[in-house]
Amino acid sequence: MAAVNPGARFVIGGQTAMLLALYLFLYFPIFYIGYLSIMENNVWPFPPVFTGEWYDRLMIMSDFHVGLLNSVLIGVGTASLSTLFATAAAIGILRYPIRRRGVIVVLFLAPLFVAQILIGISTLMFNRNVLGIPGNIESAIVANTAYSVSFAFLVILAQLVRYDWRFDEVAQVFGARPFRTFREVTFPNIWPAVLGAFIISFILGFNNFEITFYNVAAIPTLPTIAWGTLRHGIEPELYALATIVNALVFLLLFIIYLLIRVGALRLGVPEE
Amino acid sequence: MSDQAILRIEAVEKRFGAVRAVDGVSLEVGSREFFALLGPSGSGKTTLLRIVSGLEAPDRGRVEIGGTDVTRLPPYLRRIGMVFQDFLLFPHRTVAENITFPLKMQGRTVAERREQLDWILGFVRMEGLENRFPHQLSGGQKQRVALARGLVSRPELLLLDEPLANLDRELRKEMEIEVRRYQEELGIPFVYVTHNQEEALTMSDRMAVMHQGALEQIGPKLEVYNAPATRFVASFVGAPNKLTGRAIEGDGARSRIDWDGITLIARSIGNARPGDAVEIYLKSERIALSASADGIHHDNRIEGTVRDIIFKGQFADYIVRTGNEAELVVSGPPSIAGVDRGSRVSLGWPVEAADVFATEDGEP
Repeated sequence: MAAVNPGARFVIGGQTAMLLALYLFLYFPIFYIGYLSIMENNVWPFPPVFTGEWYDRLMIMSDFHVGLLNSVLIGVGTASLSTLFATAAAIGILRYPIRRRGVIVVLFLAPLFVAQILIGISTLMFNRNVLGIPGNIESAIVANTAYSVSFAFLVILAQLVRYDWRFDEVAQVFGARPFRTFREVTFPNIWPAVLGAFIISFILGFNNFEITFYNVAAIPTLPTIAWGTLRHGIEPELYALATIVNALVFLLLFIIYLLIRVGALRLGVPEE
Repeated sequence: MSDQAILRIEAVEKRFGAVRAVDGVSLEVGSREFFALLGPSGSGKTTLLRIVSGLEAPDRGRVEIGGTDVTRLPPYLRRIGMVFQDFLLFPHRTVAENITFPLKMQGRTVAERREQLDWILGFVRMEGLENRFPHQLSGGQKQRVALARGLVSRPELLLLDEPLANLDRELRKEMEIEVRRYQEELGIPFVYVTHNQEEALTMSDRMAVMHQGALEQIGPKLEVYNAPATRFVASFVGAPNKLTGRAIEGDGARSRIDWDGITLIARSIGNARPGDAVEIYLKSERIALSASADGIHHDNRIEGTVRDIIFKGQFADYIVRTGNEAELVVSGPPSIAGVDRGSRVSLGWPVEAADVFATEDGEP
C-alpha cells in the first residue's frame, strides 16, 4: 500500500464524491428541516438567527401530546403484533419441512407491494361494511400490522436462516419441552433478530400516515396532525414536529446499528 | 448379550419419500455394552439413532428403552443422553451451563446440579474451565464438554453420533481411549454411530454393520472382522484386497477359483456352480510374504515382484505385482530380510484367510 498510483487515487476520490453526493441527496432535506426548525426566519434562514419558539409553540399545541401518545401506542401495538406473527411465521417456515414454502413466503411478503393507501382504504371499508368496527386506535394497529408484518418477517427470516435448528433438537433430547426449548435455547440465540424486527415495525407503525389516516377516525397521531396543519399552509411548528419524529427514528436506527456492531445482529454479512 | 437388553429395536422402518432409510432393523443392546453401529454415509445409521432418540418417528416397528415402549414418546420424555456430531454446545451458555442443562430440565436443585457438575468435570478432566464459553474451547475440550453433557444425568443409554468425526487424527486416537474409559467406568450402555471402522473396532464390544438401511451383520467385533457374513461387510471392514474370479469347483469342502489365470483354493462357496463369478476378500495382514518360496507353507502360494514399500511406522505395506498383472497389498514388518523394491517374492495364505462370495454375473 506504499505507492498508490495516481489513477487509482482519482478513482477512489471519484467514488467518495459519489457516495457523499448520494448521502446528501438522501439526508439533506431531513437536515434542512431540522435546521429550519431552530431558525427564526424560516423563509430565508440566512444568516442564521436561532430560536426555540417553534418548539415552544408545538409543545403548547393541545393535539401534539395526544398525537405523540397515540403514535407511540400505534407503534408499540403494531410492533408487538408484527413481531409475534413474523417470528412464528419465520420459525414455522424454516423449522419444518413445508411444501410450497415459496408460496407461503411470497404471501407473507405481498403486502410490501400493495400501495399503503389501498391497504388503508380497503381495511376501512372491510371493517365498516363487513365487521361493523369503527375507526379507532385498535383498528389502526391491526391495519398497520397487515403491512408491517412483511418487514418484520423479512428481517427475522434473514437472520434465522443462520440459526442451527439442531440446537433445538439437543435441548429436546436433554429433556426440554417445546416451549422450554424456545425459552432456553431458541430465543436467547435469536433475540437480536426479534428486537430488530420490533424496532423496524415500531418505526413503520409510528410514522405511518396512509393506513393510519383511514382507520383511526378523528383521533390525532403525529402524521395526521402534520397533515392537518398542512391544510392551513406550512406552519413552522411542523418543522419542529418533523425534527422530533426524525430524531426518534434515528435513535432507534442507532440501536440497530449498535446491535450490528456488537455482532448480535448480522444483516447479510457472512460469518467468518 | 449375557444380561438383559436396555435398548430393543424391533423391525424398525423409516422411509423418506422413495428412499428406505431404515429397512426392517432389529437389534438389542445390553446393559453394560459398548455397541457400535458402523456403515458408510447414507446407510441409515444416523436415522436409526435419531429414531432411538425420538427425534425421528419410525413408520413401523418398536423401540424399547429399559423395558418401556418409547416408540411414540417425544425425545424429552425418553431420559437418554446424546453426543452430537459437531458437538452442538449451546453458544450462549457457559461450559457449566451446557453441562448441567439436562439436570436443569429434570428440575434438579442448584446444589444437586453443582455437585453433579463437580463430579463430571473431574471425570472428563475439565476442571477450571466451567466458566468459559464454547467458542473459547479447543476441539478436544468441546468434545469433552459434549460428552459430559451427555453423561451428567447418568442416563439409561448414551447415543453418540459420529462424535469424533471432526477431530484431527491425533486427538481422535486419544479420545477413542477416553470414551472407552467413560463407558467402562460408568457402565452405561453406549450406542456409537460411526463410518470409521477403526473407531468401531477400537472401542466397541459388539458392532452392527449397516448398508442401504438394513443390517448386514451383527456380532462381537472380532467375529465381524474375522468372519464377515456378507460381501458388503467383507469389503467394508478391514480394507482388504479384492480379487474377482470364476469358480472352477464351488461346492466341495473347498472351492477352487480361477483368478485371471492363477488358481486359488478357498472355502466352500455353497451353491456356486463352475463358471460363476466370485469375489475374494483378502485382508492384507493375512498374507505371508517371503523372499524365497521355501518361506511359504500355505495352500495358496503365488509369486510376484515388489513394486513399492509404503512405510507406516510400526508396519509397512508391500505392494506386490503378481504374475497375472494384478496388485496385492501385503502388510508386514517394516523390514524383511532380502525384500526390497523390485525383489522377487513369494506370497501365501491359508484357505481360511480369504472370504469368498459368489456374485451374480454382471454385478459389480
